[in-house]
Amino acid sequence: MVRAQLFVTCMVDLFRPRAGVAAVQVLERRGVEVEFPGGQSCCGQFAYNAGHHREAAAMGRQLVRAFEPSDAASSPADPPTVIALSGSCAAMIKHEMPDLLERDALQRGRTPATAARWRRRAETLADRVVELSEWLDRQAGLEPGQVGIRAESGGPASSGGPAPLKVASHTGCHMRRLLGATEAPLSVLRHAGVEPVELDDAEQCCGFGGSFGLLEPDISAAMADAKLANLATARGDGVTCLVSSDLGCLMQLGGRLDRQGDAFSMLHLAEAVDLADQHRLTPAEIERTARSQEADPDAR
Amino acid sequence: MPGELPPAAASWPERRRHALADPAMRAAVAKSTRSLTAKKEAVFAAYPAAEAMRTRAVIARRGSLARVDALLDELTCQVEARGGHVVRAAGPADVGHYVLDVARRRGVQRVVKSKSMATEEIALNEQLENAGLHVRETDLGEYIIQLAGERPAHILVPASHKTRQQVRALFDREAAACAVDPPAGDATPELTAFARRQLRADFLAADMGISGGNFLVAETGTLVLITNEGNGRMTTSLPRVHVAVVGIDKIVATWADLADLLQQPALSGTGQRLSTYTTFITGPRRDGELDGPEEFHLVLLDNGRHELLGTEFADVLACIRCGACLNVCPVFRTIGGQAYGSMYSGPIGVVLTPLLGGLERAPELPKSACALCYACADACPMEIDLPRHILALRRTEVERGMEPWTDRLTFELWGRFWASPAGFRFTGRIARLGQRVYVRDGRLKGAPGLVGGWTATRNAPPLAREPFHEWWSRRRASRAGS
Repeated sequence: MVRAQLFVTCMVDLFRPRAGVAAVQVLERRGVEVEFPGGQSCCGQFAYNAGHHREAAAMGRQLVRAFEPSDAASSPADPPTVIALSGSCAAMIKHEMPDLLERDALQRGRTPATAARWRRRAETLADRVVELSEWLDRQAGLEPGQVGIRAESGGPASSGGPAPLKVASHTGCHMRRLLGATEAPLSVLRHAGVEPVELDDAEQCCGFGGSFGLLEPDISAAMADAKLANLATARGDGVTCLVSSDLGCLMQLGGRLDRQGDAFSMLHLAEAVDLADQHRLTPAEIERTARSQEADPDAR
Repeated sequence: MPGELPPAAASWPERRRHALADPAMRAAVAKSTRSLTAKKEAVFAAYPAAEAMRTRAVIARRGSLARVDALLDELTCQVEARGGHVVRAAGPADVGHYVLDVARRRGVQRVVKSKSMATEEIALNEQLENAGLHVRETDLGEYIIQLAGERPAHILVPASHKTRQQVRALFDREAAACAVDPPAGDATPELTAFARRQLRADFLAADMGISGGNFLVAETGTLVLITNEGNGRMTTSLPRVHVAVVGIDKIVATWADLADLLQQPALSGTGQRLSTYTTFITGPRRDGELDGPEEFHLVLLDNGRHELLGTEFADVLACIRCGACLNVCPVFRTIGGQAYGSMYSGPIGVVLTPLLGGLERAPELPKSACALCYACADACPMEIDLPRHILALRRTEVERGMEPWTDRLTFELWGRFWASPAGFRFTGRIARLGQRVYVRDGRLKGAPGLVGGWTATRNAPPLAREPFHEWWSRRRASRAGS
């Protein structure tokens, strides 16, 4: 049994727990023993990007603690992978957190040795973190049975069958440029049996931008509108939904579209793969899934 | 002390509103930036040696900047040995005084200029015009901008936000004012023909030519000008006096360094292998030469540059003003260059404007004109870490207490609560209760404080009834129980 720890991110936790549940099921289907360290809250990126580094570091330290083995004695030689449900949050941990925690410790008057220790702890976490689609893409290359992974996805569309469903794939900026994970989501979607379509001007930001999106609602919305105009073209070409590995982008584009009184299904990549695993990646099921954010949609 | 930049023409909210309400400008900017970016990608793809040359150019540039003082001394000796005059200017007023002094001494009435960001930075035209000189911009884009009474909206293509129809209207007005024939139509050749006719007269009548400079070669005291229109050559060779105003950051040690750098502005700026005109100027006209000015003055502009050396921001001095970062920036594409309120717009403007003019000059730029998408970092041929600088400027604003106290309080409380799992869960529960006030038709359509910025233009789902961490606990409990 492979162990993995899930970093759901604060946004999925609070706004779209359904994506977290989908990720658990996707991972368990692949033979992973999923753990959810309860100490996690937020990677601190929002505060960090807004210039509030002290607050970001406080959140970052908590995140580092949350994923560390609870006591050294039971600490395995090879700590489990941390699978993140956001490319942007994964990038925050991998690219910013070691520097941030070291610098912040020094600013709070800690000794250089303590600061260096925080850097190492953050680096250890950074090395373990992988974004979900990158993890899935890595597994897809392995033969079934290798490291105990069962591949049970819809599988690539067989030639000669009906044309595969088209879905628009949006890769967030940090996933694209800081993780360099431009191919992984496309490859995962192909493996799930659908045809991913990248929008025109795919490399342009959707306008979410953390604090930028709150401080500049009009510019941010204009950026979303440019992205939505390209989505409209793709919708004209028959894409069924928009899939992204970043909930921030989905909330930005979905929230803007909703404000305009337009409805279009937007799915987290975990949800799309979860449906594909169950051979349910159909227009009707996509719509049903996109409509509900709840972990347990039937519960009251 | 930082340098000094001309103040923005209007407040940030006004500039932003103006920009967002101008669909023609936004469409023109989107079109030109998309096209320039595609050309840049195409030229690099078709030119296998370009990438290695670019890497060498970065090293050459950084190496020269690391010993800028020594190189400026060497440059000065070389220029003076060839009969030129060199002066160091701390800021806008120094340049203005010097140029006006030369103008007075040489009886200059009319000035022609080739495109120069350094002179935009110090509002040299205004200084000269206030002293009664006639100043004419001769780069086509700059000419259009001058007629429109605006500032350049793009470092490299200053009038790219204007449509042909708008340009024709400006030229018609100018034709009427000068009592000459207006352009025959709004096709590009017709517009260009009009500008060419008008500018020819300005070139022939000018007593002084003012240029900027793309590079300065220390070992021979050579000024390097790169243009696509040939106006740079006319400006620097026809009038009796040539004054070049160049930032101290433009220094390169040797011609070998220059060989790697020379193509970079064109490669990344316009997607050309080399600009149409490359001009090397070493001193004034010498005995026996047919062309060139009688006097050559080189004004080395500091204006806040020198004090950036040795700081975390030093690499911005390596900027070659190619505009590649503007062309990929989603915010620039959305609001255009005028909204930045600075001659330096786009990502480099977000960084350079506060660094040269002081953070108080443009506190809005780092936090409001950047979505931290990192596109500029990938685009910059000189590998300037623009996102890191923007993050650092935002941090500095916070440290200096430059944001509203309500925002500060929000972040402080947020940081305090979310630094512990209990606090995180507690705020989630409170928010779930509190959001009822704002939920309409199952959506969040309003929110207090900072988050209200979100709901100003977008809906959001309400917080889920059961957050993931509660679902997980419930599932674990039910599994343990079964």
